[in-house]
Amino acid sequence: MIENRPGLAEIAVTLRWAFMLGLMVVIFVADTITALEIAVAVFYVAVVLIADGFLRRRGVLVVAASCIVLTLASFFFTHAGAYEAGVINCALSLCAIAITTYLALTRSSVILAEHEARAQLVRLARVNTLGEMTASIAHEVNQPLTAVVTSANAGLRWLAAGPPNLGKARQALERIIGDANRASNIVAQVRNLSKRADPRADWQEAPVLVAGVVALSRGELDRNGVRVRVRPADGLPLVLADSVQVQQVLLNIVLNAIDAMAATPAERRELAIDLACEVPGFVRFSIRDHGTGVPPEAVAGIFDAFYTTKPQGMGIGLAVSRSIVEAHGGRIWVEPQPEGGAVFHFTLRARQTRG
Amino acid sequence: MMPMNRDNMPKDSQQDQPVVFVVDDDRSVRDALEDLLASVGLGSMLFASSQEFLQAERPDAPACLVLDVRMPGLSGLDFQDELARQGLHIPIVFITAHGDIPMSVRAMKGGAIEFLTKPFRDQDLLDAIQQGIARDRIRRQEEAVRQDLRRRYASLNQGERAVMDLVIKGLLNKQIAGMLDVSEITVKVRRGRVMRKIGAQSLADLVRFAERIHEADRGWRD
Repeated sequence: MIENRPGLAEIAVTLRWAFMLGLMVVIFVADTITALEIAVAVFYVAVVLIADGFLRRRGVLVVAASCIVLTLASFFFTHAGAYEAGVINCALSLCAIAITTYLALTRSSVILAEHEARAQLVRLARVNTLGEMTASIAHEVNQPLTAVVTSANAGLRWLAAGPPNLGKARQALERIIGDANRASNIVAQVRNLSKRADPRADWQEAPVLVAGVVALSRGELDRNGVRVRVRPADGLPLVLADSVQVQQVLLNIVLNAIDAMAATPAERRELAIDLACEVPGFVRFSIRDHGTGVPPEAVAGIFDAFYTTKPQGMGIGLAVSRSIVEAHGGRIWVEPQPEGGAVFHFTLRARQTRG
Repeated sequence: MMPMNRDNMPKDSQQDQPVVFVVDDDRSVRDALEDLLASVGLGSMLFASSQEFLQAERPDAPACLVLDVRMPGLSGLDFQDELARQGLHIPIVFITAHGDIPMSVRAMKGGAIEFLTKPFRDQDLLDAIQQGIARDRIRRQEEAVRQDLRRRYASLNQGERAVMDLVIKGLLNKQIAGMLDVSEITVKVRRGRVMRKIGAQSLADLVRFAERIHEADRGWRD
């Protein structure tokens, strides 16, 4: 049912490796066979930029070091040409490689630092929504507690019957144990939530983030008979994301979509998740449903806190989603569909692809 | 001479066993409620959503609906409106995790029996349910009487209805014959058939019947 292509990202990485190494070989050969005056080694700059596009800090450093070694090797293997010009050219090439590497790496860490600062802001903003979160958790705990109290009352009545119905009383007690454990599990989950307060942004593969959320909501999707299609565009770059936070955003949108499709005929209950990179520097996530849709007058306010169409909704999910996406340097918006349903879009910063 | 409730009587006694419908999206709550109701001898039917409830085949018996306010899809309060639109007059007892005043006002205005906050006292819930069932039982009896009246009135032909309308206005057979331009014998025959079909023993009975059928037609929309 899921049109998932997990191999795609790996293939893209492999292709880049092959291209980069091929380029290194070509430059090395060209640099070695041409005369010393011709500074082919300057083109190693391109190799470093490619490496910065998909490797982590250490990988980029290793690639840059290899380029320097190869430049020096070519210099010693080449005999044709003027020696002095060769030394100057070689030194220039080495400088170019070193400077490019330095600039590429500082750029990446600036993006990370900026993200961290924004994440700090989100944490502060979220303190305000704490009250709302508590109410939501209270509801989750209240359900099993209601079941416990009701079962206990039923149990007392079975015992008070003449003659007492011990079998039924035992069943009631067993249900009480199950529901009490459920309540305790919810409390444990809340504790986990507060533990992972520290957001960590990293370069992530967008289809992997989506696959995780689809797996998380599998039960809910199946229960409601919702089919999911994930369609990642070819050659998607990595995105800068705190995977837990971004998955919260995705999960929230997916669960909203499931709710919105409760009254949709079964054959139209479909969720399409498209991943595209149309604007350079950003990957766009688009989640399309065939649910009740968003009235045009709500498009502007739907991401405001306390905006909700659900009678018992908190109006918090989308507001938190917006602060998370914006802290990631992205944007979130909604588009009503003329034929019914809605598309929620959000963007995340993409790793620039060069070379 | 008394064909009155021949169709209804046996059906009622057979199907008088009340049933409680429980609509709540939480399975634990549903199961616990089923058991609590069973412990006081009440049968129940459980539904995870309002859609499930609407699609299910429900027994024709006095009933009460225990409805969670917060549910996926249609909320309990919207569902109350929907039931009213569909002409399903089942008394409703609302249960909710965190109800506020506007919510309870809306529910009670919509005719709910009770609006209880989870977790509720079992006796409060059971009292409300018993009240709902009692109310539904009365409604069903009134409905049965109305239908019986309607059926009996429908069994009269046009000539008989014309005679009946004039008889209850207190006109004499002779006057009626004159007004309808038929013989006095015909009026007598029709009058006899009206009395038999309606099941009236006297003129007073017939007048009372006519009043009730009027009321039933008016009360239909309440």
